[in-house]
Amino acid sequence: MGTRERRERSNESDRYLLSLFTKALEKTGKTSKGLALAAVGGYGRGELSPGSDLDILILHQEQFSQEILSEFVNNLLYPLWDRKSVDHSVRTRAQTRDAAESDLKVALGLLDIRLVCGDTDLVALVQADNLENWHKNARNRLTELKESLSNRHERSGELAYLLEPDVKEARGGLRDINALRAISLSGTVRVPLERISWAESKLNDIREALHVTSGRNKDRLLFQEQDAVAAKLKYSDADALMSDVARAARSVDYLLDFTWHQIEQKGKDGFGRFLRKPRTDVVAQNLSVSQREIVIDPHTDFATDPLIGLRAAATAAQLGLPISLDSYTSLSNALKENKAVLPNPWPREAREYLISLIGAGEAMIAIFEALDQEEIIFHWIPEWLALRSLPQRNVLHRHTVDRHMVETAVRAAALTRKVHRPDLLLFCALFHDIGKGSEEDHSLRGERLIAPLAKRVGFPEEDVAIIKLLVKHHLLLSATATRRDLDDPATIQSIVDVIPDLNTLELLHALSIADGEATGSGAWSDWKATLVADLVSRVKKAMTGSSTVAKQPVISAEQLSLAQTGILHVNLEKRENGYSIEIISPDKTGLLSLVAGVLNTSRLDVRSARTKTHGNSAVMKWIVTPEPYAPEVTAEYLRAEIERAFNDATHIEEKLIARAEAYAAIPAIPVPDPVVEIFNDGATEATIIEVRSHDRPGLLFRIGAGITQSKIDIRSAIVTTLGAEAIDTLYVTEISGGPLSTARADEVASRLRLLLK
Amino acid sequence: MKLITAILKPFKLDDVKNALQAHGVTGMTVSEASGFGRQKGHTEVYRGAEYTVDLVPKVRLEVLADDAEAGAVVDVIVKAASTGSIGDGKVWTTPVDQVVRVRTGERGPDAI
Repeated sequence: MGTRERRERSNESDRYLLSLFTKALEKTGKTSKGLALAAVGGYGRGELSPGSDLDILILHQEQFSQEILSEFVNNLLYPLWDRKSVDHSVRTRAQTRDAAESDLKVALGLLDIRLVCGDTDLVALVQADNLENWHKNARNRLTELKESLSNRHERSGELAYLLEPDVKEARGGLRDINALRAISLSGTVRVPLERISWAESKLNDIREALHVTSGRNKDRLLFQEQDAVAAKLKYSDADALMSDVARAARSVDYLLDFTWHQIEQKGKDGFGRFLRKPRTDVVAQNLSVSQREIVIDPHTDFATDPLIGLRAAATAAQLGLPISLDSYTSLSNALKENKAVLPNPWPREAREYLISLIGAGEAMIAIFEALDQEEIIFHWIPEWLALRSLPQRNVLHRHTVDRHMVETAVRAAALTRKVHRPDLLLFCALFHDIGKGSEEDHSLRGERLIAPLAKRVGFPEEDVAIIKLLVKHHLLLSATATRRDLDDPATIQSIVDVIPDLNTLELLHALSIADGEATGSGAWSDWKATLVADLVSRVKKAMTGSSTVAKQPVISAEQLSLAQTGILHVNLEKRENGYSIEIISPDKTGLLSLVAGVLNTSRLDVRSARTKTHGNSAVMKWIVTPEPYAPEVTAEYLRAEIERAFNDATHIEEKLIARAEAYAAIPAIPVPDPVVEIFNDGATEATIIEVRSHDRPGLLFRIGAGITQSKIDIRSAIVTTLGAEAIDTLYVTEISGGPLSTARADEVASRLRLLLK
Repeated sequence: MKLITAILKPFKLDDVKNALQAHGVTGMTVSEASGFGRQKGHTEVYRGAEYTVDLVPKVRLEVLADDAEAGAVVDVIVKAASTGSIGDGKVWTTPVDQVVRVRTGERGPDAI
């Protein structure tokens, strides 16, 4: 079993064909001048599996009469049909050229043409014709090829993830490898075929073993065949075989995706790409967008900027763009040389990049797959290696364990507005099945494995406890809702006993939905969703005294004494990757919006804020990170800017509009709509407005402006950014004091929703 | 022959399945279903007005049985499915003309 055997099988067929050709030719009494027998397709490459068809082309120059030619062909083929399955055509050089032009399959087969016997020159001419045409019409032929591939993928599905895949036809299979070779031969882009040589020989071996063990020429790896094929290839079991199938298919698929992207870019740029320097936009520190790819600045010192990889992945995913192959290579090399090692625990910024990457929805899949293919992810998360292409031979599941978790994260990204800790939801979605791959209960093993990972990623202890709980109980709601009596108070109590608060409950609910949806229709349906939602609503009712709303900040004695002076006070403290800014200011209408605007126009990105009014003063604490290449700021500068804005804020609005326009020009991925919710809080006599939205420049300024337009007062604000998601909680009152009426609250909510659209 | 159809509370499925297996029933078909009987689903009250009657999730179980066995099978299902509260479901039987086992071509009671 292997390349040598396939080549030997091909040589044997060559010898047999030569004998038939010689005999048939003798009967005609002619010479072989102008007559040739050539192998095309897989046979042309000398890759013959036991069940492979012999694809042959009989070339002639019309030197025979029709009868003699027919007799020759019959004499050649009849004995062959008794032994092999043959796919043949009889053509002249011109007919071959026409057939290749009108039929993509013929052109592709001819790319592998090889002389078996007869006129060497004739075969060489046909080969040259086809290559020349393939080069000349590359643009149209590749468009045609892409369409045919996508139709085939639609029909045959993905080799890496199907339980019973077709190793030849499915996406990532042998036909795709041939397509890559064809693209390479077109000379349009360089295709690093050496990256898939392992995959090619592996898939060919598996196909060959399948033909041998099944005794048929079918290429679909059915359940019933998998054990025998695994044994034939000396795998420990069928799971190990399917894991290799998935790994091979993923590497092919990755290279194919990457190659199409290159071709597309080349099509857009034309030859201008080589004549002028491409436009480059800086999007983050050491990162720019060039040719619609994220590029790591070649001068980046990975040792001093170890976060560059995570930043590149997060930025690429959030913009919906790929990372350039050169950037992946330099990052991968730096990691191999231990140059871009992340500290343990990761700093907050690194964790936020990871969350932004996970939270990018569909756009995350391609980036994550690339990080896997380039073996970068294992440097950050070594735990992923054990899950790589891990099959789950379970009829409910569509995907391997790793891909299932990625799919769960994609579903979770659509549910981030339904929870108050989107970061925990996204993290748990990506790692909820980390415990799979052993005989032990995967939920219990997962709880054990997730803790060190969560700590290393930098989650504080209290978050690690929630993460452990979510991983351990990720099947709890589904199992309880379908198997226990929801009318029985003991059922509800059993959940309340395990889930400590509403925050965790809504996280577990969202995780259950994401997990179920990602698993497939067999595991999740409207029917099951209704049962789980019913259970959650009953548990919520039983959880009295728990609230998801952020608490108002507390003012320290020192801040209080400064607030009583009534003077604008700005204190700036440099922190790792940013500043902590304390502002104590006379309270003014629209203060939150003004300060947020000043910070934004100073190119400082707000990560969190706590503000509270006290008498006629407001105390604010902001944590900000500067944008790439933003100028250094000082407390004096900010104080002057805030004072200037107190007098006239039009310049801030103008700048923000300009920035919003520039931001709109950057590509973006689809994100869930913002959510605005309003509650009344009897304890503080304030109305609480909670805005959950995708983070974007000027978000807080807009919210603040909406509040100011509504002529209400902000008593305190709690602003949190988690990865790419923002949760802003505002405690507001009427200017005259007291909470908002229902009608006023509805009016404010509608205004905010409109402003944030 | 009879087709026995049961509409059950989802959480009762395992009990009913086990009871049927213990009784010697070897095959059944289970599907997800939604509906309401006297239980009438959930009535929501929104701003003083009652609205929407949700369909309640249920499980539909189907078993084929010989005429002589059907009554006992129904009893087994009813016993295992009962909680005594509203919404426990229903069981009914329907006459069946013919049954064929696809693999062997067996017909009638032999195919059950």
